[in-house]
Amino acid sequence: MKKVMALLLAGVMALSVPAAASFADDGKEYKVAMICDSSINDGGWGAACYNAMVAAADENGWTYEVSDNIGQNEYYDSIAAYCALGYDMIYAPGNQYTDAVLQAAEEYPDIAFALLNGADTVPGEAVNGNVTSLLPNAQQIGWIAGALAGLMTKSGTIAFIGGMELDTTLGKYAGYGEAAAYVAKAEGREVKLLDPVYAGSFDASDKGIEFAKAMIDEGADVFFGDASAVDSGARQAIDEANKAAGEIKIYDIGQPADILGQNECVICSQVTDNSAMISVSMQAVEAGTFGGETIYGSLQNGGLSAGAMSDLVPEDVQAKYQEYLQQMIDETFMADAQ
Amino acid sequence: MSFIGNLILATVRMAMPILFIALGELYSERAGMVNIGLEGLAAIGSLVGFLMCFITGSTWLGILCGALVAVLVNMIYAFATINLCADHTVYGMAMNIFAPALASFIYRVYFGKGSELSQITLMKGIGIPVLKDIPFIGALLFNQTPMVYIAILLVIVTVIFFSKTRAGLNYRAVGENPQAAATLGINVIRTKYIACVLCGALSGIGGAYLTTCYSNTYTEGNIAGRGFIALAAVIFGRWSGVGILIACLFFGFCDALQIRLQVMSIGVPYQFFQMIPYVATVLALTIIGGRKLGPKAAGKPYRKEQR
Repeated sequence: MKKVMALLLAGVMALSVPAAASFADDGKEYKVAMICDSSINDGGWGAACYNAMVAAADENGWTYEVSDNIGQNEYYDSIAAYCALGYDMIYAPGNQYTDAVLQAAEEYPDIAFALLNGADTVPGEAVNGNVTSLLPNAQQIGWIAGALAGLMTKSGTIAFIGGMELDTTLGKYAGYGEAAAYVAKAEGREVKLLDPVYAGSFDASDKGIEFAKAMIDEGADVFFGDASAVDSGARQAIDEANKAAGEIKIYDIGQPADILGQNECVICSQVTDNSAMISVSMQAVEAGTFGGETIYGSLQNGGLSAGAMSDLVPEDVQAKYQEYLQQMIDETFMADAQ
Repeated sequence: MSFIGNLILATVRMAMPILFIALGELYSERAGMVNIGLEGLAAIGSLVGFLMCFITGSTWLGILCGALVAVLVNMIYAFATINLCADHTVYGMAMNIFAPALASFIYRVYFGKGSELSQITLMKGIGIPVLKDIPFIGALLFNQTPMVYIAILLVIVTVIFFSKTRAGLNYRAVGENPQAAATLGINVIRTKYIACVLCGALSGIGGAYLTTCYSNTYTEGNIAGRGFIALAAVIFGRWSGVGILIACLFFGFCDALQIRLQVMSIGVPYQFFQMIPYVATVLALTIIGGRKLGPKAAGKPYRKEQR
């Protein structure tokens, strides 16, 4: 039944026009397909992952396609449909696709599967060795946001909004809290990180609005998240609160792309360069060496970074923040606390 | 503002879209039309409302167009169930599948496969002079968007219409015993079509409320089960305007409460709080909805020649 569903989906997808048609250096037309449970224009995760794929595909001369807003029960069928259409690589940006990817990888041994945020144990679980995890360092992601939150909070209370309780989300939350506490302590202050809240999905922007309003009521004045469109809702609520107050005093740190300017409250972004990791995967597919490994993204290899800073961040704070970022790159950040 | 005050504000925000949709279902069921396709109607209303507001900058035009398109889509259900005497449940479910897919298609055709976040300017709140200055309740009840006032007004009008007017009683007669109503000279078919127009319009407005008064972005799936909650609210509210208002506020309160309890960081797993609205719905329907109080001919096909 699942194969039938996949073939039906493949038929529908075949009718859609590929986003681009180009050729790699060896003359073969390579194709990559992305699946995503959130929207590619969510102003957050989905958009960043899609743009990363497009950038990598353009760089390597690949054709690309995407299916977004798919439900959990459609993960496998969507992947299998692209496999049936002869796509060379499936790009699944999220830990939540692990089971579907492993199942499809077993049934389609000649296709490469790049699993963003997949655990480093996942490639070993693929019986055909055709899965690679692209794994940005979740702790460092949290650090990048947390250090700035620790410097910028006036109330001493910061907040984090999650979509689902994924391992990577928990890692980001932990890094966010420990970096904020460390930096604030160095400044002679204390920071309280509210417990993580979860919308239960990545597209409930209304939940993001309500979470942010409730967290502002609890005194939070710097927000970070891992929740796609839910984060967009939160930023809307923060902008409204700032407007009501007549000044911008509640901030948001965006992710995983540089979204400075999208909302007034955004003071900086934690940027993940997924395109570099996808590009490495594409080159491995072309060379016939793909699979069985984990490609890490970190501050050290340029996979992670901080985006442009808003004028709302005072110059002296920006300077301190850059020092902390350098410590993270030099692996001396929080060394005295460990 | 206090915890209670903010909780009430959140309750009102979260209840309003459900209230519009549930009132639409009330008008539908009172004429014997059990329309379970509310989720789909709200979805298309939400998309069209956002799109028109995005294009024209007018939230009012967005809401109007959301209502109109939802009415048009609901005419499929109306024709199939009224003229062809098709099963209400089957066509309601068909609406729930067709309308959101249509919304997705329109969105993708208009915005393409771009990754830019599209945002609109939401409808602004209007404070009612003098009343908004009343301590505590002034800010809560009299400093809302016009759509909130319209929703409350609609509840009052609905109550008066169904209980105090001849037209309302005639309308109810169609839902109770259409054959008997027809013998009294009531145009049953016309009444049922009017019911479908009202149901489509109010469901579309409920959906458009989300994208013109609540969230300034559009995401697929943003109705998130509100159409089904509205169905439950009609049963919980015992097919009365005031009852539905209370039911919607109750469901809105449960959702607002679970969010605030998550934020309060009291060490309980968040999944427990996320259960609250659903558990409350089941409990409410079990306690209140046990006895059949709805229109007697609800969901039954009307054939003129049938005795």
